[in-house]
Formats: sequence, structure tokens, C-alpha cells
Amino acid sequence: MRTLVEVVARCDARGRTVLPVVRASGQLAVRRTGSTTVHLVATAFGPLGGDDAEIRLVVEEGARLAVRSVAAAVVLPARGESPPSRQVVRAEVAGVLDLAPEPTVVTARADHRAEVRVQLAEAGELIVTEQVLLGRRGEDPGRWTGTTRVERSGRPLLHTTVGLGPGAPAWLPPVAPRAYVSTVCIGEPRPEVRTGVDAVRLPLPGGWVGTAWAGELHDAVAALASVTEDVELVEVAR
Amino acid sequence: MTAALLALADSRLPAGGHAHSGGIEQAITTGVIGDPVSLAGFLRRRLTTAGAVAAGLAAAACRAVDVADPAAVRPADLLAALDAEADARTPSPAQRAASRQQGRGLVRVASRAWPDPAWASLPAQPHHPLALGVAAATAGLTPRDAAHAAAYLAVSGPATAAQRLLAMDPITVAAVTARLSPEIDRVADDAAAGDLPADTDPLLDLLAEVHAARNDRFFAS
Amino acid sequence: MPPDHNLDDYVDPYSPGHRHGGPLRVGLGGPVGSGKTALAAALCRTLGAEYDLAVVTNDIYTTEDADFLRRNAVLPDDRIEAVQTGCCPHTAIRDDITANLDAVELLESRHPGLELVFVESGGDNLTASFSYGLVDVQVFVIDVAGGDKVPRKGGPGVTASDLLVVNKTDLAPMVGADLGVMRRDSDAVRGDKPTLLISLREDPAATEVAEWVRQQVRARALQEA
Repeated sequence: MRTLVEVVARCDARGRTVLPVVRASGQLAVRRTGSTTVHLVATAFGPLGGDDAEIRLVVEEGARLAVRSVAAAVVLPARGESPPSRQVVRAEVAGVLDLAPEPTVVTARADHRAEVRVQLAEAGELIVTEQVLLGRRGEDPGRWTGTTRVERSGRPLLHTTVGLGPGAPAWLPPVAPRAYVSTVCIGEPRPEVRTGVDAVRLPLPGGWVGTAWAGELHDAVAALASVTEDVELVEVAR
Repeated sequence: MTAALLALADSRLPAGGHAHSGGIEQAITTGVIGDPVSLAGFLRRRLTTAGAVAAGLAAAACRAVDVADPAAVRPADLLAALDAEADARTPSPAQRAASRQQGRGLVRVASRAWPDPAWASLPAQPHHPLALGVAAATAGLTPRDAAHAAAYLAVSGPATAAQRLLAMDPITVAAVTARLSPEIDRVADDAAAGDLPADTDPLLDLLAEVHAARNDRFFAS
Repeated sequence: MPPDHNLDDYVDPYSPGHRHGGPLRVGLGGPVGSGKTALAAALCRTLGAEYDLAVVTNDIYTTEDADFLRRNAVLPDDRIEAVQTGCCPHTAIRDDITANLDAVELLESRHPGLELVFVESGGDNLTASFSYGLVDVQVFVIDVAGGDKVPRKGGPGVTASDLLVVNKTDLAPMVGADLGVMRRDSDAVRGDKPTLLISLREDPAATEVAEWVRQQVRARALQEA
């Protein structure tokens, strides 16, 4: 099934953010939950193997947008030979975007491909957080491949693809975590490198990227926090 | 042109590679590597992430030098764009520095081996795969050859670093590298044929940064 | 090979021996504990006021030698560069000199008037010598305590270095080393290349070695002119 979400955030004449476009079709609905916040709501189980979702976000100059979801996305395999499911976020950001959906749980046999592609204008600011858990409790891990590409004024700042789960070439014991979290933050002075236990924060031009991994999601979240606690996060008023 | 490719991928080519372990030294310190099996696993991990990215960049850099109409599309612009793509795929400052250091070393030797105006198109201190791509082009090799050299070097240098650090049986280590050949070929062929890979391994980022902060190390990376 | 093919085509015109400008590069090599770092420190103290100079250290492990020079404030920090040698100090000074060339070039760009660079090797065995792609002249430092047989045993460091320094002559009576034997054996294997028997403890200024270095700087200046 194809899913399409579109949200446009604009700055009105009085300097306030308005959301002239908030629409969705397919397996996601989108709700306004604050003056600058929308929540994605799943309207069906899934995503299922073979599902394809695209989330288009435009944050115009001076505008702010926070995107959340109401619950974890549980990726399930289709019956039989399950093709991968895909979710692509495409964002054009001249204002401030804060994208932090609830975790993605990839169940056994499922293969999920997530992409986040952001084009920042020179003054654009960004904070994107991803949380991934392979397998529900007591279940074998599924497969997750996440690509992040952030450009500013056409110049690439970050482009990485992380593959997790059985069969992913860089997912090998003793370092084959079930939980993985990452945050990309652009819009503040470039901080120094910081390392922790299974967590690392790296500087980017005008920001940073932090990643952490663990056996359990809450441990990965704590590990990431341990290397990001000294930096200010880009904030969007809720 | 096979001999030129062998020269380019020879670990004895004096381009500075012997002082870089590609994360192996720190992986040994943290206990991720301790025997031939864990070494093979780490090398495969490295090959399919950093190795794939290097192979793709090397092939693209080789192609950039051989553009049909250099007046319309300047190789220097293409190489500068590739250098930015390499940075975006290498967020770890320690890994960036290691790559640029080895790039500079390769330019020093390869530009004397194969003098060519194309060398002037490279940025100062280029990422290693870019220097490798230009070296391949000036030596009359193909983008696919450049990818193969990059993928092979992503494994061979680190393998011998493990040998030196763990006093491992060199024949065992040579056999590990040799048996990775089919996967090296596959990674190189895929990287040369498709879009630029961006595969990354956060473990390598972490190891590289912890290593760079140490002052008791044998290797530069 | 076609008859009109010129062998020169195989050789690129650049030759390190004909490098123009830049500082004189002096290699300091020798076995562990023979006093390389102490000699480097002595030369920096003695020659620091005369020449614009810097040091590259090749430690086997850690940056101990570089730290020693810094601690003793022989030179300011920005005139000392330490390189990692990948467990292989002789590779770094002979077979693949990339990291050392990078360090020398970094020092040159930082100090455009640089006249003299000492490249100190990590302590290695008697076979370790510097590539002439890296240094213009090299000094090999052995010591009396290593045994008076060392010069006779030879090895590229002892036989081919531009200056052989036999350090710690003050220890000769204590270790039963015969300085006459060392002198005679050195001269026998080195032809007319000089050997200096010194004691850094008795002459912390390394007067004779410093004078030899001055001669090399002058010789290079004449060559350049």
C-alpha cells in the first residue's frame, strides 16, 4: 500500500507559524496537535512488507515544525516471501524542523528501509531523532537499513547508511545490537567529539550527529544521552 | 594494465599506509579482535562499509578525470564535489584525518610514478580514495580497477596491522585476506557500477575517535 | 625494448639529493638507550640560538621522546612533531617515509625560515638506517655499554652513516670496553667517514657533534649557491 503525508509550515505576516497544508493518505493520518506540532497516527497495522510511505515536509523561512507520532511503528513481514517495506522522509527546511517519531520496531522476518533526506537552506535548522528496535520481546530480530542524507545549500553535510539485523554485513557479533538510536542536529556551533560506552557524537558543519547502540532500547537512549547532554538541542515550541 | 593495478595495490607502495590500522589497533584494545576468526569478521565489516564507500569514491574519481569534454565539465569541480561527498560519508574527524593523510601520501608517490596534468585537479590533501581514483586514471586503469584497489586496501593494510600487533601467524592472516577475495571483488564491482555507497559502521567511528584520543598507540589510525 | 628507447624514461627527474631550498635534514639513528634523544636535546640546546631548527621524533610507542624534548623545554612545542610508526620504526624512516615527510613539510610550512631539522628514529637494531629520500645526512649513535664489539659487527648504521657517534665513553672502565678497539674497528669498516667518541655526561653541549652539524649546514649552503 502507498502512503503519502504532506505538511507545509509557513511563517505568516505576524511571524507566527501556520500550517497551510496538513494532509495524508494511505496508512498514516496526520493530526495538528499544537500550533507548530503535528502527530502521525497509524490507521492500520504495519507497515507490512511491500508497503511504501513518503512523508514530505516543507518548513519555510521563519516557520517551525515539530513532527511526532502517537505510537511505535511495528514493521511486520508480509505472508510468504516478504518484500521490504519503505519509508522515506523528504524535507525542505528553511526554518526549523524537529522530527522525532516514536521507535520503529522491526519484527522477525521483516525488512524495513528507512530514508531521511533533508535539504537545508543556509539558515535552516534541524533535529532528527531515530530509534530502532530489532524484534519484539523474545522474538528474533528483523532487518533495518537506515539512510540519512542532509544537504545545506546543495552541499552534503552527512550521508550515511546503517544496516542492522541478520544478514547486514556490518551486524556481526560481538557487536550486533538490537537497539540503535541516532540524532542529527544542525543549527548550532560545531561541538567537539565525545565518546561513551557504545555511543559517539561527531561534529558536522554547524552541528553534530550522535549514535548509540545497546541490547535494549532504553539503554541505547541513555547511552546517546550520555554523549549529548552537554549540547543544546534545537527546540521547537510545542 | 594489470601490472599498474598490482603496483597501486601493493602494500609496499610507500604511500604511508603502514602506519594506519583502520581501527584494528583500537578493536584489539577493546577486545573486539583477538584471534583470526574475529579478525576476519572485523575485516568483512570494514570491507562492506568503509571499503564499499572507498571503492565507490575511487571509481567515481577515476571517471571524473576521464570526462569527455574537460572544458564543459571540469574534473576539478567533479573531484571537489566528490571530496565533499567523502566528508559527508566520513563524519568521524579521526577517520577524515587518516583518509586525507593517506591521500596526501599517495599523491606524493603516484604523481611521480605517473606524471599527468590530472593531478592538479585534486584538492590539496584529498581523501585517499580520490587520490587512488586519479592514480588509477593516470596509470591507464579503469574505474573498476580503482574500485578494486580501494576495496582491497580497505582490508589488506588493517590485516597486516593485526598481524604486527598480535604477533599473529602471518600465513594465517594472508589466508584470511586471500579468502575475502570474492567479497572484495563483489564490493568493488557493486560500488563501481551503482550510485556512491554510503554504508557506515558506527562502531568504526567510535573506535577511531577513542583511538585518536590515546597517546599510547603504535598506529596513526 | 625499442632501440630508440631511453632508460631515462623510467626515472623521474626529481632527485632528493638535488632538493632546492628547505632545511638540512639530519637523521639521528641507533639502538635503544644509546642516547639519541639526549643527543637531539643537546644539539637543540647548542645550536638553537644559531639556527632556525625543529625536530621530528619517531617513537615506537607513545610520544615519550617528543614529550622529553618538550619537558626539557629544549624547543617550543610547535617545533617538535611526533609520528606514529605502525610498530615498525625502520619502515617509517627507510621503506615508507611518508609520515616523516609529512612531518618535515608541516614544520617547514609552520616555520618558513627553517634551516635545520633533526629526524630522530625510534630505537631499533643495527640494521636500521635512514632513506636519503628523507634525510640529507645521518648520524648513527651507539654506546660503549652496548659492548666494544658493536663497531666490528658493522651493519648499515655503523658502516654507512655519515657520522658514527660512540656515546657514554665515561662508562668504558665500568663495562670493560676498550675505546681504542672501538675506534680502530670503526675506522676499519667506515673508510674515511668520521667517528666521534663522546660522553654527553661530560660534555652536555655535544660540542664535537654540533661542530660536525655546522659543517654540514655550510656544505649544503655552498652546494645550493
